[in-house]
Amino acid sequence: MPLLEISGLAKQFGGLKALGGVDFTIDEGEIVSVIGPNGAGKTTFFNTISGMYPPDSGVILFEGEDIAGLTPDRIAKRGISRTYQNVRLFPNMTVLENVMVAQHCRTSRGVFSALFQTPAFLREEEEIRQRGKEVLGFFGTRLTGYRFDQPAFVLSYANRRRLEIARAMAAQPRLLLLDEPTAGMNPRETRELTGLIGKLRSERGFTVVVIEHDMRVVRDVSDRVVVLDHGVKIAEGTYEEVSSNDDVITAYLGRPAGEGSS
Amino acid sequence: MTTTLPRATRGLDIDRRKVIVGGLLAGSVASFLSAIGMVETFDERMIIDPILSLGYAALVWIPVLFGYRVSQRVALEGMEAPRVGAGNVLAGALVGAIGGGMLGLFAVLVDAVNVRNVLLNVTPALVDLLSFHQPVAVGALLLVAVGAALGALGGVAHLFNPRVKSAIVSGVAWILLFSFTELVFGDIFDDLGMLSVDRLIYAADRGLTLGAALVIFGGAALGSLRFKGRASGAVARFQAMPEEKRRSRAFYFAAAVMLAGLLLPSVFGSYLNEVLATVGLFMLMGIGLNVVVGFAGLLDLGYVAFFAVGAYTTAVLTSPLSPNIAPEMAFFEALPFVLLMAALAGLVVGTPVIRMRGDYLAIVTLAFGEIARLLFQADWLKGTFGGAQGILRIGKGSIHTYFGYVVVASGVVALLVGFLRWREGRRLDRIGGPARLPGNSTPGLGITIMAGGLGAIVFGLLFPSFATWTVTGIDSEAVFRMVMVFVAIAAFVSWRLQDSRVGRAWMAMREDEQVAESMGINVVTAKLLAFVIGAMLASLGGALFAVKIGTIFPASFKIVQSIIILVIVIVGGMGSLRGVAIGALVLIGILGGPTQTGLLREFQEYKLLLYGVILVYMMLQRPEGLLPSARRSRELHQEEFLQDAWIKTQEGAAAVAEVAAEEAEEER
Ligand SMILES: Nc1ncnc2c1ncn2[C@@H]1O[C@H](COP(=O)(O)OP(=O)(O)OP(=O)(O)O)[C@@H](O)[C@H]1O
Ligand SMILES: [Mg+2]
Repeated sequence: MPLLEISGLAKQFGGLKALGGVDFTIDEGEIVSVIGPNGAGKTTFFNTISGMYPPDSGVILFEGEDIAGLTPDRIAKRGISRTYQNVRLFPNMTVLENVMVAQHCRTSRGVFSALFQTPAFLREEEEIRQRGKEVLGFFGTRLTGYRFDQPAFVLSYANRRRLEIARAMAAQPRLLLLDEPTAGMNPRETRELTGLIGKLRSERGFTVVVIEHDMRVVRDVSDRVVVLDHGVKIAEGTYEEVSSNDDVITAYLGRPAGEGSS
Repeated sequence: MTTTLPRATRGLDIDRRKVIVGGLLAGSVASFLSAIGMVETFDERMIIDPILSLGYAALVWIPVLFGYRVSQRVALEGMEAPRVGAGNVLAGALVGAIGGGMLGLFAVLVDAVNVRNVLLNVTPALVDLLSFHQPVAVGALLLVAVGAALGALGGVAHLFNPRVKSAIVSGVAWILLFSFTELVFGDIFDDLGMLSVDRLIYAADRGLTLGAALVIFGGAALGSLRFKGRASGAVARFQAMPEEKRRSRAFYFAAAVMLAGLLLPSVFGSYLNEVLATVGLFMLMGIGLNVVVGFAGLLDLGYVAFFAVGAYTTAVLTSPLSPNIAPEMAFFEALPFVLLMAALAGLVVGTPVIRMRGDYLAIVTLAFGEIARLLFQADWLKGTFGGAQGILRIGKGSIHTYFGYVVVASGVVALLVGFLRWREGRRLDRIGGPARLPGNSTPGLGITIMAGGLGAIVFGLLFPSFATWTVTGIDSEAVFRMVMVFVAIAAFVSWRLQDSRVGRAWMAMREDEQVAESMGINVVTAKLLAFVIGAMLASLGGALFAVKIGTIFPASFKIVQSIIILVIVIVGGMGSLRGVAIGALVLIGILGGPTQTGLLREFQEYKLLLYGVILVYMMLQRPEGLLPSARRSRELHQEEFLQDAWIKTQEGAAAVAEVAAEEAEEER
């Protein structure tokens, strides 16, 4: 059974078909890239999976159960976690608090145990803190040490992207959705992150869907590439197959003159 | 176009535009305060016996402050520091003279033209007062002269170094404080049987004696010179402490305050007790609203509704005169029902507004607040709530027996918690090593808690025999004690929640609701929880209010209550417990609540005006509040924080250097 199996996923904004019936599957332990020109519907694809918008139609089977239309927090609890194209951290919370709060759905202590600070509460707090630090350690020393207690807004752009990934990891999902994780990074940082995306699978056992514009990253990390254009899947396969596909080239470069307009 | 160079600040060259604008502003403020009757009303009260009344004091500060501000020259970084000297004094004097002249003109005008049918408070007595009991024309000239002198004083202030300046300010502040608290100290000296001391300081209910004023001023100024910086040093040292130590210090401090609060009321005298009980009541509700607005970021303008629910539930359950249902419970028996009703009300208000944000939420909750009041007032519920007549003879909160029970019960809980801690501590000791982390239990901690619990049980069992606190409106001492206990509970609840999983979820929700939801936080539960907890804390305030007053009417639960509680939270510092405490002390303690008086009884009429002024000033100058939480001030000053806060600290600088070195290393 695939980890995530999507069929006929459609989403419309007013008259605009952002997704027009997309089929998609990913198996446990795969890394799949989603590419496509601007406005192809890639982010919308993530938004509907993670529950930010309910899809108009279609089935999203996660571990065999339909999650289409569930609220985002339910979906997060089931094990799908994401990052955003335009980094969306909790800017005034500290780096550590950002990854601590992400474990909300994996923990359970409520008001009463917090009021009386029961041993169970203290133990859980400590676990949350430790796991938070451990997850931040995934990025070497970039987010550790004195950084723990810095508010997230002081971080550099690349570090914000890293923290966002750490936050998604801290929620202990099975499936990670990364929306353009290397956008805005310099080549060196991009290379480093490319390696880390591989490690997300090999060391941490996550299954990863990544939206990416940088073709070298796509080539290096993905087992399989899915190409979206105008809300429909126009190609799927290995990087080599997809990069030589005529439809894909047309989608990216536009149609040659004489084959009809627009 | 050529760039204009900044105006030179050589010699006596002064900024004419600034001076004129400042002077006119000062004149307008002075005329306004006179026109609304403040000067005249305040004249009843003396600050220093023969020479200064509060009425004149209400005007004196204006030329001084404007003179000071206008003659101030901003030192720009990297530019030659502006020279201070005669220019400042002259500018100040001019501002004062213009202001005084304008006020004089005002006096002459209202003397010539009768405007009393428009401005009720512009009386001949006011004109007489403004012209120093001289003919108007002479008075107006005097005003110019006095204004100039005071303005010059403001300008002269620039010549002093900052230490002297702050010494003078603190001298003035202490004089005001002593004179405002005349009634309070009068009561206290009465209680202590030290009337002679009272006579020495105060001129028989007419302000400070001149001698006392001089002594106070001198003492305060000297004290300020001597101890300046000590307090901030202590604060800095406190903040530098490790988290654990800081927490325990804060806890002991709070405990000491509580103990003082339980013991001091017998010394305080009824007036101060009354004022402080009101302060406590608003502090309690401020703490509750802070959970909703400060922690969870839900701007609730109808908070008074929960206050009303608490008060009415108490009234209905305890009063023999409540129309339909009159179980005549005792206060403490009614309390669980009060909390239950408040929680329900929280759900009722919270549920429909779950998906609303910001302005929409504020408007809808505002409406809910009004609806609550109208319901309690409505004729069709008259059978239960008594309509516009309200409910009379609310039961006494006789707490001697019940309080004992409560203490015993908490003792039992403490025993249990202590035992669990002890066991956990033992377990951790056995595992040893890295499992032992700060915040973990230790056997010693467990034993301490258990000892505390035992003490509480003994105290609680003995309590009814040595204390008979009966809370009715009459015994202000008991009311205040009781309010203290409730405030402590509320503060404890919000303090514990802030740093917990629940508190973090609120925080995240306040930052970015959508993302919080995608990270697995159920925003519906989180919001409802905030509403319910806020409602329960407000209902405690309502219950206390009801027994304190003994009679409640729908008119006590107007929107202005919500607004004032919100102003307390904002002025004090949103999201900060200390801030809310300070906000309530300053605003309610000095100015008074919506219907209750504070230390400055004369301000009664002008309270709302002052609330407005304070709020506007704070929003402009210090939006994070008086004692903000670290988080909030970071939030409002992100840029400055980014620039320097971190680099300033030693390890910050080291870390920055380290990272830079690292980066350079990688670059190669
Ligand atoms: N909330 C929304 N309301 C209206 N239209 C939307 C919304 N979100 C996305 N769209 C539209 O849907 C289309 C697909 O957008 P989407 O953000 O999914 O593209 P994308 O493939 O992620 O593009 P990019 O590479 O620029 O990130 C765009 O035309 C966009 O304008
Ligand atoms: Mg996108």
